[in-house]
Amino acid sequence: MRPFLLSVLVAPCLLAQQQQARPATSISIPFEKYTLNNGLTVVLSEDHTTPTVAVEVIYHVGSKNEVLGHTGFAHMFEHVMFTGSGHVPYGTHDKFTEGVGGSNNGQTYFDWTRYWETDPSNYLETALWLEADRMGFLLDSLDDAKFRAQRDIVKNERRQSYDNQPYGRDRELIGLAMYPNGHPYSWPTIGAMSDLSAAGVEDVKRFFRLYYAPNNATLVVVGDINRARTKAWIAKYFDELPRGKAITRPNVGAASLRGEKRLTFEDRVQVPRLWIQWPTVNMFSADAPALELLGEILAGSRTARITKALVYDKPIAASVSAGQTSAENVGEFRIIVTPRPEHTLTEVETQVDSIVARLKRDGPTAEELKRVKAGQELSFLDDLQSNLGKAFQLAEDQTFRDDPSYTFRVGYAKTQAVTAADIKRVANKYLGSSRVVLSNVPLGKRDLASHADRSTIVTDPLTEKTTEIRP
Amino acid sequence: MNRRPSFVSGLAAAVVFAAPLAAQQPKTPAKQQAAAKSSFDRRIVPTPGKVPDLTVPFWGKVSLANGAQLVVSEKRGLPLVSFQISFIGGANQYEPEEKPGLANFVANMLSEGTTHRNGDQISNDLQLLGTEVNAFIGGESGRVSFESTRDKFAATLAVLADLLENPTFPQDALDRLRARTIVSLTVNRDRTSGIANVVFPKSVFGTAHPYGRSMNEASVKAITRDDLVAFYKNYFRPGHAVISVVGDISQAEAKRAVENALSGWKAGGSVPDFSYPAAPSPKPTTIYLVDKPGAAQSTFALGEVGPPRATPDYFALRVMNEMLGVLFQSRLNHNIREVKGYSYGVGSSFGFGKGPGAFRAGGDIVTAKTDSALIEFMKELRDIRGRRPPSDDELAQAKASLVQSLPSTFASVTGVNNNIASIYTQGLAEDYYQAFARAVNAVTREDVVRVAQKYIDPEHLTIVIVGDRSKIEAPLIATKIAPIVVLDVNGDPVKKAVTP
Repeated sequence: MRPFLLSVLVAPCLLAQQQQARPATSISIPFEKYTLNNGLTVVLSEDHTTPTVAVEVIYHVGSKNEVLGHTGFAHMFEHVMFTGSGHVPYGTHDKFTEGVGGSNNGQTYFDWTRYWETDPSNYLETALWLEADRMGFLLDSLDDAKFRAQRDIVKNERRQSYDNQPYGRDRELIGLAMYPNGHPYSWPTIGAMSDLSAAGVEDVKRFFRLYYAPNNATLVVVGDINRARTKAWIAKYFDELPRGKAITRPNVGAASLRGEKRLTFEDRVQVPRLWIQWPTVNMFSADAPALELLGEILAGSRTARITKALVYDKPIAASVSAGQTSAENVGEFRIIVTPRPEHTLTEVETQVDSIVARLKRDGPTAEELKRVKAGQELSFLDDLQSNLGKAFQLAEDQTFRDDPSYTFRVGYAKTQAVTAADIKRVANKYLGSSRVVLSNVPLGKRDLASHADRSTIVTDPLTEKTTEIRP
Repeated sequence: MNRRPSFVSGLAAAVVFAAPLAAQQPKTPAKQQAAAKSSFDRRIVPTPGKVPDLTVPFWGKVSLANGAQLVVSEKRGLPLVSFQISFIGGANQYEPEEKPGLANFVANMLSEGTTHRNGDQISNDLQLLGTEVNAFIGGESGRVSFESTRDKFAATLAVLADLLENPTFPQDALDRLRARTIVSLTVNRDRTSGIANVVFPKSVFGTAHPYGRSMNEASVKAITRDDLVAFYKNYFRPGHAVISVVGDISQAEAKRAVENALSGWKAGGSVPDFSYPAAPSPKPTTIYLVDKPGAAQSTFALGEVGPPRATPDYFALRVMNEMLGVLFQSRLNHNIREVKGYSYGVGSSFGFGKGPGAFRAGGDIVTAKTDSALIEFMKELRDIRGRRPPSDDELAQAKASLVQSLPSTFASVTGVNNNIASIYTQGLAEDYYQAFARAVNAVTREDVVRVAQKYIDPEHLTIVIVGDRSKIEAPLIATKIAPIVVLDVNGDPVKKAVTP
């Protein structure tokens, strides 16, 4: 699967009838939305470009619904959703997606878990049948052996994507430092190895009954569909699934970081790396679009401030990146720099701080702002070519904004309306002294940390200490 | 391989992919625990509708005065245009043997400055056009391309023409790219998969064959500005180029725009010779072990010299490989991930190409199960050769997955363009996509077994395993599968073979 953008977070798009100075392309995602009696929200969108469909079910539950000691469970549960359900034997799901020229997968985030199928359009009813069966009848086929097998695979996912990757643990170490202990965004979605080992089948049942109810989900169908026939199938397969209890959302506090936390992590790497992160705002904040553009202004292109200064003009860095991520309850702004061998993390941090200070003092130029806004139209149009890309957008916007068209109707205009003064203001408001600075350094080289004398050595709390493998 | 995680930074890095799994087939559906009741028999699989027809986009082709071919395919609906100049031939045909990485450097350096714009100006101009121009040179083809909105097409094409015709290759930009590349190569050696991606081709083909060579510190340090200029002058010529334009634009408009923008691109160049030195003859199966102390998983890459793209066995190999290591429920992934739980995902592929691209199977395996996983890989490679012939269901799914996934590749302007361009860079018939289903569906069970026997030879495999030697060497020896040769991270021997 090719990497894809989390488009609602990073690529706000074009709206249908905006009043912009620049020529607006009158493009929108046509859709129809309705709700079943059991609370399931349905969004349909026709696109007959190719004879294919995308089906997505998004559940408003993610790793932030976990509690300490049970981290990683929402994602492990997602794996269980592929092991068959009451009327769908294991393997059938793949047979009627990949095995007929389509695809399927699932994905877990702090705030949501989503599942999807893409299929030739003649298999739409089959895809709806598959999703309805695991929404209604997952527990009918659950057993301990299946669950334990899933657990081993998830542990291998953790090893492959985090533990065995250089710098793979940086984000989780920062999360633990930035949020109070037990804060729902403090642990990574993949979870701690020891928590994965401790989870059992009873946890699966409880989680399913709590969160996998129609009233906590949105079903989106995009592509080569006949809407009347599609509605009839949705009625047949989903209408009789019972509504669940009302969902209690976790009470999520702020990051409450006071002052700077400086960490040093010794990793199996040869090249050190610096990661600076500030707590910012969630996706509903009026400041989110300005922070997203600030990331572009600092490191989105060759002529972005930090990139130009550190990688090109006075090259002390091999690569840099920066950006805002806005989740349902919290947000983070990060700057990551990999120095060249003859330059230190301390030097890099000093330079970054000075560039950020200058931006806070002067704000961006009109030209800079124009450049970072210019790519959004193409980005939006490009996403419209994918049934699945559209499904992701409609589903997230429905789940978090109660409006499937939010991003292309409102979000794009909000981003286009950001001013240089907004960028200056949010830089001053959020990129302050309360932050986490992580130096990732080679094993035994803690002196390579930025301002090593002020940096605390952290260990690696979430990785397995001993190898636990099924016999 | 399917269902791999995608990497995005920050909060987004916390996104994790699932994907099916389960150790066992479930029992007969048990109804007693059902939270929901059903008013009809949900065990009945819905009957699919009629298979949708494949609509292959139409395209027209003309030759331009400078010798380049121009292909245009209209695709209306969204105001988007995809533009590509594809070059037939790549690094393997144009790069000096001792300088792997040169082609990559030349492609990168096109945007470092022209006689009209410096690197910053190129970047700024393209940002204002809302797009970027990408240049890439692979082993056997290259490409300079962009996607733009319709109204920015002519202006973006003008920037591309400037990069193509007037690059200056500044020395300071070369030095900067070199320094950055060396850091990337260093970081890549911290990944077991990064090491395997260098050591496997080198172990299979040796460095006398272009398929065995990779960019490395020494070759990168040796690249001079003169090398860039010489490669550029030889390579970026219309005589082996296909220009393809797909999107919200007519053939006449596209031709006019291209002729206007590329009027300065002078004739010259021709399709290169694709002959390669003979690949090394097969050697008895050997395990090449690379030590990566502390690795949580071992990366496997096992395979051998394969057939070229032009093999008459191409479609049979595609069908065979779908069921061996492409589909999620393929034999390798089903067994090693789903049943055994040794990995997050394994698979297999054929490199094809103008020469004998490698067959390669592999994935990342938990350290403690390195030996057990190798046993399972060997079992599956033997079984597909006839010990366990393909079932009807495997055959049907493998074919349908190939045939019925084709329409989705024509969804975007860039998808259509890639499909059209590959016809010309790979030298395929122009009705390739129309004929694709027939060719795939003609493959028989016997064909699958025959090509597995012909191209997968368990007695002559190169097995590269990168992992924690202190934990995996003794168990690997105990499997008695093959002798072990220990290599360093560059694929060079560090000690003599140990015979089990």
